[in-house]
Amino acid sequence: MNSSKLNEQIYAYLGFHSVERSEEVDAEISKCLDELKELAHFRYTYKFFSALPDFLLCEPYTEYLRGSSGVIVAVMTLGCEVDARIKFYGRTDAAKSLVLDAAASAYLEYLSDEYEKTLGENLSYRFCPGYGGSSVEDLKHIFEILSPEKIGVTLSETNYMLPSKSMAGIIAVGGKAKKSCKNCIVYEHCNLRKGGAKCYGSEKL
Amino acid sequence: MLRLGEVVTVFDGGMGSELEKLGFCGCPEDLNITHPEVIKKIHLSYSSADCIMTNTFGLNKIKYKGGYGIKELALKAVENARVAGKKVIFDIGPTGAMIEPLGTLTFDEAYEAFAEIVEYTKDIVDGYIAETFSDLYEMKACILAIKEHSDKPVFATMTFDTTGRTLTGSTPEIVANTLEGLGVDALGVNCSAGPKELEGVVERFLKCSGVPVMVQPNRGLPVLKDGRTEYILDIEEFDFYIDKFIRNGVAVVGGCCGTTPEFIKKISRFSGQKVKPRNVERATVVNSATKAVNISGVKICGERLNPTGKKKLKEALISENYDFLVDEAVAQQEAGADVLDLNVGLPQLDEKSVIVKAVRKVQEFVDLPLQIDSSESEAIAQGVRYYNGVPLINSVNGETEVMDAIFPIAKKYGAVVLGLTMDSRGVPKTAKERFAIAKRIVERAESYGIPRHKVMIDTLVLTASAEQKLVKETVEALRLVQSLGVKTALGVSNVSFGLPNRGLLNKTFLTMAMTCGLNMPIMNPLDGEMTGAVKAFGVLSGTDENAESYIDIYKDYTGTVSALKTVKEEKTLDAKSLYDCIKKGIKSQAAELCLRELETADPMTVVNDVLIKALEEVGKLYDGGKLFLPQLVSSAEAAKCAFAVVCERLPKGAAKKAVIVLATVKGDVHDIGKNIVKVVLQSYGYEVIDLGKDVPPQTVADACLKHKPFAVGLSALMTTTVKGMEETVSAIKNAGCSCAVFVGGAVLNSEIAKKIGADYYTKDALECVKTLDKLLLK
Repeated sequence: MNSSKLNEQIYAYLGFHSVERSEEVDAEISKCLDELKELAHFRYTYKFFSALPDFLLCEPYTEYLRGSSGVIVAVMTLGCEVDARIKFYGRTDAAKSLVLDAAASAYLEYLSDEYEKTLGENLSYRFCPGYGGSSVEDLKHIFEILSPEKIGVTLSETNYMLPSKSMAGIIAVGGKAKKSCKNCIVYEHCNLRKGGAKCYGSEKL
Repeated sequence: MLRLGEVVTVFDGGMGSELEKLGFCGCPEDLNITHPEVIKKIHLSYSSADCIMTNTFGLNKIKYKGGYGIKELALKAVENARVAGKKVIFDIGPTGAMIEPLGTLTFDEAYEAFAEIVEYTKDIVDGYIAETFSDLYEMKACILAIKEHSDKPVFATMTFDTTGRTLTGSTPEIVANTLEGLGVDALGVNCSAGPKELEGVVERFLKCSGVPVMVQPNRGLPVLKDGRTEYILDIEEFDFYIDKFIRNGVAVVGGCCGTTPEFIKKISRFSGQKVKPRNVERATVVNSATKAVNISGVKICGERLNPTGKKKLKEALISENYDFLVDEAVAQQEAGADVLDLNVGLPQLDEKSVIVKAVRKVQEFVDLPLQIDSSESEAIAQGVRYYNGVPLINSVNGETEVMDAIFPIAKKYGAVVLGLTMDSRGVPKTAKERFAIAKRIVERAESYGIPRHKVMIDTLVLTASAEQKLVKETVEALRLVQSLGVKTALGVSNVSFGLPNRGLLNKTFLTMAMTCGLNMPIMNPLDGEMTGAVKAFGVLSGTDENAESYIDIYKDYTGTVSALKTVKEEKTLDAKSLYDCIKKGIKSQAAELCLRELETADPMTVVNDVLIKALEEVGKLYDGGKLFLPQLVSSAEAAKCAFAVVCERLPKGAAKKAVIVLATVKGDVHDIGKNIVKVVLQSYGYEVIDLGKDVPPQTVADACLKHKPFAVGLSALMTTTVKGMEETVSAIKNAGCSCAVFVGGAVLNSEIAKKIGADYYTKDALECVKTLDKLLLK
């Protein structure tokens, strides 16, 4: 595992970007990652479509999918044990709970990226409902298509997924989509961006 | 009649995959009415099976979103399945919503959804199958709903992943212990994967299940072919594994996703074959959803969740502050307890409703099995019903009325019962008399269908100061009752009442009792001497093989005896003073350093000159980007610990600044931000009433009326829940509460805050405290 990149991501989630890293937090992160390796049950479910499902026939999906030959619709999760542990630490060690929460988010991204490398060539990045002005309501369509209850992921009436360390999104096959902050909902007041970083990677602006 | 367990029974195969083949997608349940001929044709094609499952997997009011009535569909589905001329088993799948505490669906809501469909169909089906469940708690709700509305056979199967656990972490042993206890007729695994991948899980079920084992695998693992998922395992290989399962003792077989009528036709050759008898090892096992504890050797039952003689816990329970209870539970788990006794009996409380809340709260944070402890049978029934697993019941005694009240509850829910060797005449003096009562208890339990491995006996400890001669009778009775084939328990610390150096007597008595076969001391696990004695006994009696667990705990032992936890995890960071300790965020030393500080300074000086000053410095560093959020939170936690110590020295409430109500609003379950605000507020001396997450607007308004807070803080993370926040603000204002409304969370800013009618937006916990402090001064 590329732990330096993973650590950077965790620091970003914890809101440390302009600050020097601390040895204590470094140690805590590494403990949390060890714990996650034991605790997490990474599961991934997906379907491939060469003809786009209806809900993708509008912006911003069409722009993201421009030039692609198909799309993968996917849901992934670390499982409910991680949620339970974060909650447990909320009672015994709130600071650790915070670090574990951030580490779990980064770990899920990392495992998903790795898994997607096995799905084929020329895959774009994951684009999730809520990005670029799309509506989180679209999660409903993804859930209809995949029934991710099978991997233990559920969707509430108000569109949050449980376990909380779960993601749902689409991946363009082919195409030339590039990540961008432009249409992000917090574009105006994003602290990461002000600090010269991005939430989705370490590339400088 | 089905001769389950005697001869092999064959169920049908995949329905969804057959429908997909015919080009049907969308809601499969609706097809019962829109295309009955298609459904009938599929059922008919499976008529080589003994049992046909109705096409009703998603038919419950939580999951079903189609346009027909549930009753109408259920009746029609049964009629369609009848066409095959075989037994019709009504199919029930999960609700698709996550049940609490992981999700927000309540146990009762799930129960009602399942009860509704059973009520409609109880007279027209031959049995029920609850299948593809991944959450044991939801399965329990479903089994209870079926069994409380019908007396037809119940089949129950869950899905497992490659690590041999359900998606919510239950092992086959836990599933079998729980479902067998609830009285299902067959249990096992379905879906999940192909027969080959399920071999391990099936083998484990066969070893531990006292009822027939059922397997309905998929047609192997799906492969992606031209962008479509396909099942490609061939019939011969499927049949090979089914044959193997049956030769190992499986009693009910069938197919799941991808299997076709040809598969079922092939395996129908096993129908009517004699089921191979199995040797099932019966042990006294209690379990939560994720942890099973076999009461053998010595297991520690923590006694601290009991308000008797504990003023703080008593106050906390009366004011419905369950945080305190949870903290006690967590502390005992960390100190090495295996089971936790839970008692909420107080004259001021409605025990049967409080026990349910307490069970829910404790099982949310602690995965140890619970012992439901009450003298009221109704409270026991409620506690056991809402417990997610197989609990212990504390207790019955030799009185017939008591046994007749409690045994039916234990039988219904599959709980293990603790029997006390006393009756209406009190505790008999001799070991022989106590043995006689134990025998009576065990036999009466058997007449209720409760086997001996579900009974434990407590031979009762009397105090050595009053009844010195009887101490050895208790121990002798332990030795005697083992011949009944039951495990034993004792509330050991009673022995030392009224004598000096109680710890020494307790430890010595514990050792005596363990030598004579005590399996479960009920004791204080935070007492490192006692817990240590149990660990040492494990080495000396040979149950702790190669002393592994002992060495693991004591490898860094340096000579100080305290709770096990501190032996395990000695913090290396050392603080010189309380100020330093808060600044560095060392929670474990805060209380002690605070006591030291209080030797020379009065409590309010400690608050103002040390705690607040240290927090201010930490705050400045954080604001200046010199400290990270986890470090800020660590400092706040340390300050909170110190603050609790200071409060002990002050008249009640004197140091508390004001009451603040906090909630994550309806529709949102992200509570990490709210929890940070909570810790920081507490560290500054605010009293926080935490309503939790996904809190309905009216609940927040009611809490404001009840607690009359100085301010209420609302949190939301998602754009979609800003609406929920707006409704909550209106509910508070409409209820006539004048408290200031604070809002925060990733999607908010001062503009949105103003728009939805909130009084203050603060960007983080620190700003929230500062704003509140300023407001208080006004």
